[in-house]
Amino acid sequence: MAKKKQSYVDLKDQPVPEGSHLLEVDNLKMYFHTQDGVVHAVDGVSYTLDRGETLGVVGESGSGKSVTAKTLMGLIEMPPGKIEGGDARYRGKSLLKMTEEEMQHVRGNDIAMIFQDPMTSLNPVYKIGRQVGEGLRLHRGYSKKEALARAVELLDLVGIPEPEKRVNEYPHQFSGGMRQRVMIAMALACDPDILIADEPTTALDVTIQAQIIELMQEMQKKNGNAIIMITHDLGVVADMADKIMVMYAGRPVEFGTAEEIFYDSRHPYTWGLINSIPKQETDEKKPLTPIAGNPPSLVNLPSGCPFAPRCPYAVGICHEKLPEHITTESGHYSACHFADDPKFLAYAPETSRTRANLAARKAAGAQHAAKEA
Amino acid sequence: MAEKTPLLKVEHLSKDFPAESGVFAKRFARKVSAVNDVSFEIYPGETLGLVGESGCGKSTTGRTIMRLTNPTAGKVYFEGKDVAAMNKRELKEMRRNMQFIFQDPYASLNPRMTIGEIVSEPMTIHNVGTKEERMRTVRELLDVVGLNPEHINRYPHEFSGGQRQRIGIARAFALRPKLIICDEPVSALDVSIQAQVLNLLKDLQNRYGTAYLFIAHDLSVVQHISDRVAVMYLGKMVEISDWKTLYAEPHHPYTQSLLSAVPVPDPDIQKSRERIILAGDPPSPLDPPSGCRFHTRCPIAQGKCSQEAPEFREVKPGHFCACHFAEPFPIKQSSIEL
Repeated sequence: MAKKKQSYVDLKDQPVPEGSHLLEVDNLKMYFHTQDGVVHAVDGVSYTLDRGETLGVVGESGSGKSVTAKTLMGLIEMPPGKIEGGDARYRGKSLLKMTEEEMQHVRGNDIAMIFQDPMTSLNPVYKIGRQVGEGLRLHRGYSKKEALARAVELLDLVGIPEPEKRVNEYPHQFSGGMRQRVMIAMALACDPDILIADEPTTALDVTIQAQIIELMQEMQKKNGNAIIMITHDLGVVADMADKIMVMYAGRPVEFGTAEEIFYDSRHPYTWGLINSIPKQETDEKKPLTPIAGNPPSLVNLPSGCPFAPRCPYAVGICHEKLPEHITTESGHYSACHFADDPKFLAYAPETSRTRANLAARKAAGAQHAAKEA
Repeated sequence: MAEKTPLLKVEHLSKDFPAESGVFAKRFARKVSAVNDVSFEIYPGETLGLVGESGCGKSTTGRTIMRLTNPTAGKVYFEGKDVAAMNKRELKEMRRNMQFIFQDPYASLNPRMTIGEIVSEPMTIHNVGTKEERMRTVRELLDVVGLNPEHINRYPHEFSGGQRQRIGIARAFALRPKLIICDEPVSALDVSIQAQVLNLLKDLQNRYGTAYLFIAHDLSVVQHISDRVAVMYLGKMVEISDWKTLYAEPHHPYTQSLLSAVPVPDPDIQKSRERIILAGDPPSPLDPPSGCRFHTRCPIAQGKCSQEAPEFREVKPGHFCACHFAEPFPIKQSSIEL
């Protein structure tokens, strides 16, 4: 174990090369070659991430958000998967060109991942303490005893009561929320630079979801790690994400800061996602506004904009031409032909800010009218 | 409302499960009390939302109503008849009018049956119509739930999660039942698809006048479809009211915390609003806390709460709440006004 350790330089102790970011994903393409044809699971994803930042990746099932994350971690089986282009650099070093041995050192140590289903991602036949300490033994050369002691501390840190007792229990003795806490403890054991959370709260009750999100934010404040939060619910990332990437059919359709995505969103798919969430209104019931239809098959994508068949505003050009990214000065982009048309953007859903603006304008108008009178 | 007779009446329903099995199970009877003294009514054409965390007994309540399990105590009346006293024939007749939609659209459809067979099965069991008539009904139903009637000979694996849930809904409506118990029908779906299915259920209700018992763990989902909402915690009902009152002035601290836990897709609101995040997990129903079952996690618990179980009392007409302090704490509205 000690020998192995020497042959590697801990990547996260390396400085980030000047002018680049902690993680740079550059036009990444991952296709699956199956009997039914080529599945364009990830088709040109780019973003950058720095320490302390949180990136929210939002989209429906099958939009390629999990595959993007798994590609970074080298968890996609190849074949059928194949990287068709692009690169992903972690501290200036390409993750895609690493050997499996190097990758093993990155996984868990530099970049850690939490999965949706906490039951299937824990091994049912090993005690919790052993599983939490596994990364430490592997990457840090801790002894069994040291690893167990650290596991107790970690469990305590993520809010599991009586950690000394709980390290000797098995996963089935934990509830869903507690298991997800164990997963977080495990992921943070080696103090990774990046924590990728793939729908970590989808299987949990809302009350427990709130706890887990709070915990992830607290741990981020303490450790300064970056988070990539993958979810299908924009509400979940509303107060935790700095940047948000909305994905559809393997492509990013909108990217911007959380502010821009929620208050100045420029893609009808993002609007659809916002509108689908039931609102807490108590005056009257309006029917929900879902996105019509189903996500397209990634084998034969519709020509033109992949969202066009479901888009309520689609016109001729949408079915013919794939939209380019229309980017604003701040780097906020949207893959929609009409993203820079102010008339079109008036269809964007109401937010607390537009309502506040409207109220202010109304009040000003009333004042004006009163003066006139 | 007062004139109408309820379609379904549940009175002091309790369901215990033995916690041990084997020869001595009876002697050292430790019980999980999954449902404890739950009462409510559902009127024709109405939707009652039933909300609570995992393990609070909401699904068990649904299953007991349909007599998929027998109640330990209490009574269930469907159209005035005691469900527990029914013989096999009566039970079959009752189930013709009471159908179920399940949570998991993958596990609840037989992978070896075609869509046509799945949707027509209830009609086959109840001997409705000839084969041709049944197939015609199936096509109609598929059309109504937004699936292509041409797909009648396809198998479940060819459909996505949302589409499968539509198949389950078509099956539940095949006999035009008076009541459908929907057990978390949208929990496994993406938000965009969730909204589609909720709208569909609402449309079908308007069309056929079916009553729903809508079980979910998320108050925001239930709000849209329900006329009245009941909240359960650890086998007990803690609050029931019409939906407006429940969302505007929730009385029980548990209801308030559930409401405040729902994420809002608006960072300004999400950051500024007051949230009650409950600590820990729900306690084990094997050994429920004394007094008020919620007192271990309650943000306003006082000495009295751990000793005395609160009465399920009417705080306002039609609004019941089981909390000692429900009135002195008319706690903040969780919906947001700006």
